[in-house]
Order: sequence, then structure tokens, then C-alpha cells
Amino acid sequence: MVTALLVILGFLAGLLGALTGIGGGVLLTPILALHFGIPIRQAIGTSLVAVITTSAASSSVHLQRHTTDIRLGMTLELATALGAAVMAYLVGYFNRNALEGLFAAFLLYSAITILTKGRKGEPVGEESTHAANETSIPPYEPKRYPLGLAASLVAGALSGLLGIGGGPIKVPVMYIFMKVPLMVATATSNFMIGVTAAASAIVYYRRGDILVQVAAPLAVGVFVGSLLGARMAPRINTKIVVYLLVGVMFYLAGHLILHLLRGWL
Amino acid sequence: MSQLREPAFDRAVALVLRIGAFSCFFVMLAGLIAAPFVTGQIPGEIERVGVLLMLATPVVRVIVACFLFFWEKDWKYGWISLGVLVILMLGSVFGLGEH
Repeated sequence: MVTALLVILGFLAGLLGALTGIGGGVLLTPILALHFGIPIRQAIGTSLVAVITTSAASSSVHLQRHTTDIRLGMTLELATALGAAVMAYLVGYFNRNALEGLFAAFLLYSAITILTKGRKGEPVGEESTHAANETSIPPYEPKRYPLGLAASLVAGALSGLLGIGGGPIKVPVMYIFMKVPLMVATATSNFMIGVTAAASAIVYYRRGDILVQVAAPLAVGVFVGSLLGARMAPRINTKIVVYLLVGVMFYLAGHLILHLLRGWL
Repeated sequence: MSQLREPAFDRAVALVLRIGAFSCFFVMLAGLIAAPFVTGQIPGEIERVGVLLMLATPVVRVIVACFLFFWEKDWKYGWISLGVLVILMLGSVFGLGEH
């Protein structure tokens, strides 16, 4: 029964993860900890396996559509992998409240900025028909690499700390600050998430913080959900994907703020 | 100008991810299906192999990308990929000492 629940949970997380460019860990870590009674460090480590699965399944589909900027992804992975590996090693020694507060503020800012741009019909509307048609991606040149690398380092660190893929940071940074089209930013984020999560998951596994009996059913569900989500993505209006992404950002921000408030009260 | 449009490169990396993801999926599924019917630690060990394959998939993807960049004499991105690989390997060493 629990195994079936884990498969279903993984399926839903994988579906949303593939559609929005996040790894699904933002949903899995708190649910595993709150509803399955798994200690937070093991919930983080276990959800990282599902995050890697989401990335592997969905980014292979994005790569075949040639919407992934591999060079940009590899460059930013240098920072995300470093941040993830170091933070996974140091987890437990850092004050999580400060990082969570910063993360929540960043997510709220990014979500509001994306919503504002979407309502003005600036870049979001122009990219509404996407993915399957390669020519629909406008020419672009990624800008502000130092900023992208710095944000990726933070995204990687948060991946190692919270068991997420870091997509909620990577996608807005590439889209808003590096001027990468949203479809490319989403695909590239998916591509990077696997390595980001693997960098910290390896540390968690060696430490014994990945529960194999939980990770396996989750990953099976995530795999199916991710493939379905990646195939659904081209048929969905970009605005829906944006609203999904924004919804996840608000959820995550609210979750972090609540977590902080509970700690203070 | 976009950095996209390298179909052969994209296909090779996609193939690695696809093989990795499908292998893990079927191995883990086999473990889950075996669990109610097989006693002992065999189903758990099968699932462990699936999880390890999943952890290895992004690493193999980086190795393949690194090889392809050097093959194309794209030194800058070849070295960047190698840097990512070194970080992943170091993570394994760091984790080992914490058991």
C-alpha cells in the first residue's frame, strides 16, 4: 500500500517537474518528511534520486527536440555541482533559516517578475508555440554569465541542502537575467538538474541517507510522470507552464516561510 | 546567436540519458515486482542496483559530453565538462568519510 502511494506520489511529482523545469524535489522532500515520517535528512537524500530520474527522463526528450543549450548547461553545472557537493557535505553545520529565508524571498521576487512579464505579454506570449518545432526558438546569446554562475552556485547549494533540483532558481535566472528563451531555459534547467542532484546525492548515499526502499517506488513513478510531462509540454500553451512554475514557486516560498515561522514561534 | 542546433551531439547525450533512465526504471520495477514474491534481501538488492544506476547516469552523461567536446576540439567546453566530472568524483570521496 505504501509502495503504491509512493509510486503515485512520484508520478505526480515527475509530471509537474517535467512541465515546469523543476526536479520535483520541492514537493517530495516535505511530503516524505511530513506524511511518511521520514527524517528530514533522509527525505532530502531520497528525493534527490527522484530528482535525477525526472531530469534523465525529461531532458532526453528535450535534447531530441534540440531545445537544450548544452554549452550553457555544462558551464552553469560547474557552479551547481560545486555548490551541491559542498553543501551536501556541510549540511547540518549551516544555519538553514537564513538560507531558507533568502530562498523564499528570491522565489517570491522571481515569481512576481515572471507573472508581471507574462501579463504584459512580453516574451512569454511570443513563445507560446514551442518545442516540437525547432524554428520557433528565436536567436539569442546568453548574457551575464557571472550572475548566472553565482545564482547556479546558490541553486546547487540549495539542492544539496533541501533536496531540490534547483530549477526554481535556474529557470528564472536564465530567462530573466541571462535573456535565454523560456523554453530553452526550462530544457537546459532540466538537463542541469540531473548533475546538480547527483553531486549531492552521491554524498548522501555514501553517508547512508538514501532510503532505497522508498527511492525505488518514487523513481518508478517519477520516470513515467516525467516522460508523460515532457511529451505533454509542446501541446501546452507556454502561459500554462509559466503559471505552473509560478504556482510551484509560491508554494515553495509559502512552505519555507511557514517553516521559518514555526521555528521562531 | 543561439548555441543550439547540434543534432548529433544532442542525440548522443539524449541516448545516454535514455539508456540510463530506462535501465534504472526496469531494474527498480523488477525489484518492486519481486518484493511480494521473493523472500530475503534479493528484491532490496535489485532496487539498490537500480538506485546506483540512477546515480551513475548523470556522471556517465558528463563523461560522454566531455569526450564529445574534446573529440570536436572544443577545448573550452571539454575542460569545463572535465571540471564538472572532477567535482562529481570529489563528492564521492567526501561522502565516504561521513559514514
